[in-house]
Amino acid sequence: MAGSLKKLCFEMGAIILAAVLIGISWNHKMLLNVWSGKQSAAPAPSSVAPDKGILPLPAGLLQAKEFFNRKQAVFVDARDAFIFAQGHISGAVSLPLGQFDAKLAEFMIKVPLATTLFVYCSGYGCHDSMKLGQKLIGKGYQRVFIYEGGFPEWKDNGLPTEGEKP
Amino acid sequence: MMGEWKKYLPAIIRIALGLVFLYAGVMKIIDPVAFAGSVAAYKILPYGLNYLVAAILPWVETICGLLLIVNYRVKASACIVLCMNLVFMVALASTIVRGLDIDCGCFRQGGEKTPAWLAILRDIPFVAAAIFLLSRKDKLPEGKQPSS
Repeated sequence: MAGSLKKLCFEMGAIILAAVLIGISWNHKMLLNVWSGKQSAAPAPSSVAPDKGILPLPAGLLQAKEFFNRKQAVFVDARDAFIFAQGHISGAVSLPLGQFDAKLAEFMIKVPLATTLFVYCSGYGCHDSMKLGQKLIGKGYQRVFIYEGGFPEWKDNGLPTEGEKP
Repeated sequence: MMGEWKKYLPAIIRIALGLVFLYAGVMKIIDPVAFAGSVAAYKILPYGLNYLVAAILPWVETICGLLLIVNYRVKASACIVLCMNLVFMVALASTIVRGLDIDCGCFRQGGEKTPAWLAILRDIPFVAAAIFLLSRKDKLPEGKQPSS
């Protein structure tokens, strides 16, 4: 019994090892791009039907924190300027969805197209970040993530914020 | 008639399960970046690991699918398939609990959305098939070693 269990575990290990080796070799370019931070945002196929264009990739708190700590992304706040002034993620840039056309030129001067962007708004119920993210992709930004937890989750986790009421 | 069906049933289950996982694996191998997006939508793993899972998991599915079809190392493949399905079901259940409305990403990427509850229901027969294959004791002529 113990012998056959040992054999089973060995065979399972061999299958998984083969899959790891083949998978990493087959996808080495993609993995190298991810490692070096060059991977462009993949469409999130779960969100919308294909004919609605490329969508930004959703990101959770852990991913947002990683990029924030490594200073490898610019955080973009999709909320109104007034709400932004009251409190926002430290270092975030304000680009309210409702003022996209008016503020885009200034934003594009400050933020190069190759920059990784994390767009957020007021949390899971707020869809402005997704809409803003799509517009930014339409203007040529390739690495756009939607931080869906938004400012409330960031603040509730005691992470760096700025503003009149941090 | 029924006796003949019973005789071939284990092979039918084995090959059917193998075909499902071969198809699932190949669909993901074709577009690993899209699959990484599906994995990321679960909001479980950090950024880099989404891509590592997207690189490796499809090959686990494909290899297990092929082994089941050709009737080689069946128990090992069935055990891996069982473990994978259980993990998928837990991950899918977690999306329901957390209120995430996502596509399961189980087969074709970017296609019609499969809700989590439906994917869980769909996984139940796969789990049952894997358990069935694991529980079988192959009867072989004397002097022959059993294939696992």
